[in-house]
Amino acid sequence: MKSLLLSIIKKEFFHILRDPQTLFIIIIMPIAMIFLYGYAITLEMRNIPTIVSDLSKTPESRLFVKKLVSSNFFEVELNHIDESSIDTVFRRREAKCIIVIPKDYSTGIVDSPVTYLQVIIDASDPNGAKLISNYVNNIVNQSNLEMSLSNSALFTLLPRFLYNPDLKSANYFVPGLVAVILLLISALLTSLAIVREKEKGTMEQVLVSPINPIQIIIGKLIPYLILGFIDGLIILFAGVFWFNVPVNGSLLLLLLMMLLYIFNGLSLGLLISTIAQTQQLAMMMALMGTMLPTFLLSGFMFPIESMPILFQWLSKIIPASHFVQIIRGIMLKGVGIPELISQISFLTLLSLVLIIVSIKKFRVNLDA
Amino acid sequence: MRNILYLIQKEFRQIFRLKANLVIIFVMPFIQLVILGFAITTDVKNISTMYVDMDRSQLSRKIIRTVSSGEFFTIKGSTDQTEAAVKKMDSGKIKLAIVIPQHFENNVLSGETPEIQAIVDGVDGNTAGIALGYLTQIFKQLQRNMTMALPSAQPRHIIETQTRMLYNPNLDSVYNIVPGIMVMLLTMITVFLASINIVREKEIGTLEQLLVTPIKGRELIVGKIIPFAIMGFVMLNVGMLAAGLIFGIWMKGNLLLLYVISVLFMLSTLGVGIFISTIATNQQQAMFYAWFFSIFAILLSGFFIPIENMPPWVQIVTYLDPLKYFMDVIRGIYLKGSGVSDLVPEIISLSLYGSTMLSLAIIRFHKRMS
Repeated sequence: MKSLLLSIIKKEFFHILRDPQTLFIIIIMPIAMIFLYGYAITLEMRNIPTIVSDLSKTPESRLFVKKLVSSNFFEVELNHIDESSIDTVFRRREAKCIIVIPKDYSTGIVDSPVTYLQVIIDASDPNGAKLISNYVNNIVNQSNLEMSLSNSALFTLLPRFLYNPDLKSANYFVPGLVAVILLLISALLTSLAIVREKEKGTMEQVLVSPINPIQIIIGKLIPYLILGFIDGLIILFAGVFWFNVPVNGSLLLLLLMMLLYIFNGLSLGLLISTIAQTQQLAMMMALMGTMLPTFLLSGFMFPIESMPILFQWLSKIIPASHFVQIIRGIMLKGVGIPELISQISFLTLLSLVLIIVSIKKFRVNLDA
Repeated sequence: MRNILYLIQKEFRQIFRLKANLVIIFVMPFIQLVILGFAITTDVKNISTMYVDMDRSQLSRKIIRTVSSGEFFTIKGSTDQTEAAVKKMDSGKIKLAIVIPQHFENNVLSGETPEIQAIVDGVDGNTAGIALGYLTQIFKQLQRNMTMALPSAQPRHIIETQTRMLYNPNLDSVYNIVPGIMVMLLTMITVFLASINIVREKEIGTLEQLLVTPIKGRELIVGKIIPFAIMGFVMLNVGMLAAGLIFGIWMKGNLLLLYVISVLFMLSTLGVGIFISTIATNQQQAMFYAWFFSIFAILLSGFFIPIENMPPWVQIVTYLDPLKYFMDVIRGIYLKGSGVSDLVPEIISLSLYGSTMLSLAIIRFHKRMS
């Protein structure tokens, strides 16, 4: 019995090794992904192209412009913009923000207590627009404080950022990326494992041999589990040593969880493989079934709390969203099993269900 | 010419024979739009919040009431100890804890400017920053109202911002996402299906059979490109219809212009698809390459992350990404109603990119075949 299982594992291994091109992709892709994504994903905005139309031209207004420039958020161009050309500026993407300093900027006190600074923002990127508006408001608030002599604050707000005091983007995205990459790779790896043999007809040959379905499934899983784990180690290594993301919790627990999670992804792929009739279909299913949900609903990039309630529920049945919490918990918060028990048990349960269903499904296919 | 028509006919028969393909073309755009459109919201709201009110005064209760009244913060209970709140944060139950110290109200009244502590889960730096921003605004407003009510209040000159959000006044993420999904759909269908389709024919040997017929290599390529371009085109229209029906987002600009530019765009993605088919020896490889390409091309297109935020060297890399240009085009036409004159650089880049990519791919394909 054991030797049968071993020979399936061997066969699958040979199959992987015989195709160095695929092996190369499997190793290179995650590395490329963690680097490019690790660098490119940052929600902090810089150098926002901004046109300032200073109608006041007073020392006060110039001071304000200077503040904008020195904040590093804005790349300021001084230019006169009239109402009719605003649209053209935004359409040609020459600026994302236009600030008009009114004539009465410094003398407003004479006519009215409030002077309005006009801020026009290209909101086709709403998140960016909100950030830009926040930045402008901050600078305006600061100017207000400086211009008024008395300090009017009754109480102040003292922020304390836990786990990631410098609010480093990498600390947030890199662990999430590990979760996304691992699931994608592992599900894609196995999604073709069975359907390929079905298409080529070699499955029938395996079936007439005295191997039972459980052995076939396990035998197909183990080589990919090893491969996936190697991938996981590589990207974790890159995250820790290149992006300087700390591992505050237990490394051993993290590695174990990674193994569990990869197993989960592989079982998902296997299930797809037993259902799909052709490789093309299997790939499409794997892509649709893993790429979109993991990218979108795992909380890796988009906060789950802001989604409609239906999607919040959906995110709860996605393995990635649980692993994202586990890996962030261990790496950043340094928490252990007690805090993560619900996520861990969910992943374990889901793996078992997936693997049992694929074996069942596989059996049914055999009998038919 | 006749040969090409036959080939296209053959291709369509093959496509329609498999029901799943139809599902991909007509149902996928809807599903993607619904999921993406609703799920991707970069808005930060419903931040799970806990308060630690050690003062229990009228003022502290007022502050908590004000914080919880908007849609930004969802109060998840209260506790007496800061440590208990931090524990909750450790297990991920809350993202923010507001700590109001003892004697807060008294200290405010005696002019001592006490501090309210905001403990923020900093893992997600973006959300943390925005949450703090909300809180600051709320407190500022509250204080202003309180000082105005004071008898000693005197008029002061202040500057306020009057902000106008063009094209998307309510700051709905959907407006940004929906045009992006069209780009994604077009990329997927052209790169994936084209590359996998050709490799499949290679694998099962029917490509060789086609080569021994009187069909010329050139015709074969054209016969492969046209069906996928048509499919992409159909999908684009289905996507636009879905966007209008589901989200009420209809195009502002010129439809014809979008059609023309999307053809230019598909030249480059089809080029990539054919190119992949010449490197890959089996379907799995083709899929991996196609996936590899899409996952980077989508990132660098500025779909999720504005390109300006990226480090300079990554920004340079984005110029190699045809999706970047098309993303600008489709967002411009869809949301801002941009016309030809606004999009000249993009149109030139896409034409250059498309023609080079496609010719390179075809040359390579020819070499491979002969």
